Amino acid sequence: MTGKPPPDEVLRIEDLNVAVHDGAATAVRGISLSVHTGEIVGMVGESGSGKTLTCRAALGVLPKGCHIERGTISFEREDVTQLSPRGWQRLHGTGIGAVFQDPSSYLTPSLSVGSQVAEVLRVKQKLSRRAAHDKTLELFTAVGLRNPALVFHQIPAELSGGMLQRVMIAIAISCEPRLIIADEATTALDVTIQAEIIELLKDLRDQRGLAVLFVSHDLAVIRELCDRVVVFYAGEVVESGSVEEIIEQPRHPYTQALLRVASVGDYQRRELEVIAGQPPRVGAEITGCRFAQRCPAAIDACRTAPISLAKLAPGHQARCVRANDPELAGVIEAEMAAR
Amino acid sequence: MTAQAADRSVTDARATPLLSVENVDVVLGRGWRANHVLSGVNLAVRPGEIVGLVGETGSGKTTLARTIVGLVRPRSGRVVYDGAETSRLRGGALRRERRQGHVQLVFQDPLRSLDPDLTVDQIVGEGLRIRGGLDPAEVKARVIEALRKVGLDAGLLSRTPGQISGGQRQRVSIARALAADPGLLLCDEPVSALDASNRNYILRLLGDLRDTLNLPIVIISHDLSSLAGIADRVVVLYRGRIVEDGPVSQVFSAPKHPYTALLMASAPSVKHDRPLSVHQLRRTDADPAVGRELRVASACVFAARCPFAIDACAVQPDLEPVAGPAANAGGDPWTAACHRRQEWPALARDRKQ
Repeated sequence: MTGKPPPDEVLRIEDLNVAVHDGAATAVRGISLSVHTGEIVGMVGESGSGKTLTCRAALGVLPKGCHIERGTISFEREDVTQLSPRGWQRLHGTGIGAVFQDPSSYLTPSLSVGSQVAEVLRVKQKLSRRAAHDKTLELFTAVGLRNPALVFHQIPAELSGGMLQRVMIAIAISCEPRLIIADEATTALDVTIQAEIIELLKDLRDQRGLAVLFVSHDLAVIRELCDRVVVFYAGEVVESGSVEEIIEQPRHPYTQALLRVASVGDYQRRELEVIAGQPPRVGAEITGCRFAQRCPAAIDACRTAPISLAKLAPGHQARCVRANDPELAGVIEAEMAAR
Repeated sequence: MTAQAADRSVTDARATPLLSVENVDVVLGRGWRANHVLSGVNLAVRPGEIVGLVGETGSGKTTLARTIVGLVRPRSGRVVYDGAETSRLRGGALRRERRQGHVQLVFQDPLRSLDPDLTVDQIVGEGLRIRGGLDPAEVKARVIEALRKVGLDAGLLSRTPGQISGGQRQRVSIARALAADPGLLLCDEPVSALDASNRNYILRLLGDLRDTLNLPIVIISHDLSSLAGIADRVVVLYRGRIVEDGPVSQVFSAPKHPYTALLMASAPSVKHDRPLSVHQLRRTDADPAVGRELRVASACVFAARCPFAIDACAVQPDLEPVAGPAANAGGDPWTAACHRRQEWPALARDRKQ
């Protein structure tokens, strides 16, 4: 907040609160994060932790009954928090592209996928029919669709889930946005296809200098794709840092627990651990740490006062009173293995 | 039923499978639309065994499950459950067999497979009420017992699926299946809609059910890693054919089919120490184009995607026993359908990472 932000900062969210149920509850609390050019930032957390609401706020498409209570969202250093629907429309596609979980539900089933990509180009870029057609074929090649001329004339039902997701990514990058927001974009895909889409997103980042905000509930997917990761729990950021640091040295008990339940990929028989309990209700008012009721290492100090995000190392923050306690990891390990 | 199952496993655990699928072909659609969904599939499930069935979308996993419970009729081959050929049953006999509830199917997405207007009590007890022969108090007791087995409290009885969490919904689906006191449980992607913690919880629950009830379970999944902690045997399907079948520990330590290896290398992981990378197992632009002879229906199903395909792969290989000392260690059969099952691992290691 002090001084000028770095010149390549594409998205910055500052102290964001999102209210749901017409203001009856606060589902997202004090979220801050930023995404830079050429960087892939992952958001990870359980369902209901506020990842998707944060994304939708950053896209200006909050669902009915939800509004921004507090905080600012800036896109390329321009405050877009109070942007009008028309303003957002101008930004969509040309500034920010989006990819969601279920590609088939975002495409019209009776029109060829090519015509749906070309339509975006004609509306947004004012391209002629011919130019839009050619650009679409170019995009299909860029997202790794073999035989683009054939795919152009196929309808969604004729394509596999992986091909449809590539079409969605082609639409997302069609108007050369600087930022892509991908909400569970690989969750519904087969593992072999998921691996291909992850590579595609990395290639697009490398070739086009895209910034990507990638949401997933699976830490293993985040590990494969992202440079930095922000861990969400019950509407708050509980830890953030580089992927290496978060995977090698997680400091928040929730991150440690998430890692213990994530796919290890070594295929050896091992104990299947679980995080006991349920996250608090959306909007529940809790003094102190929101994870304390499920935390195997909770102490009295966790429940008495609000806990702030503490800086542990450059670029690494965690919201835990015991973040610097050397015994923390041992306690979590012993408690989770015992359950 | 349970007592019988336990008894059987003591006497002849190895010899007689409880369920056997023998040489099953399934064709859906007719004429030019005919689609060969399963070809020559063999599967045996023994008492107390957890079998993982793995494959990608369209590989025929779900069709196989539907064939086993009699929702799809095989064109040829047979399904035998507990000595009786269930794939032969028609009309009233099929209905009677189904009402026995010997084989229970747990569906993928509990939000879509559970009626949103019914309460948990009605969902779990519906099958018992239709089967008849129990008074309402007995049904209620069985419902509560089924919920207890999956770790759910009777306090949920009056809730509807919309009022409980995703993990709880999947447990309700399993309780619904257990209420029928089945001899075999078929779970179609039981964890793919869940987060990591709930996924582990459900898998652990299935493992416990096998241990306490000696219940054999088939778990269908597109994700190999979710089977690693729980299955005894893994069966890999690709485009309607079984390409590899063997004990989990052996298959996962040295897969003998390139597709199994590709599945393993593709699964995301928080650690980066895979024996082979996906690039070593995928065709690249550097590989020669796939010849026409490998694209015909009689060719190996995986040939068009396989970087190790040779001329011999123009003929679909049969499942053959894997040779070598590792194969005999467990005593359980291990088979793979690949002409190059001896050579490809070395070739893969030489490819660019």
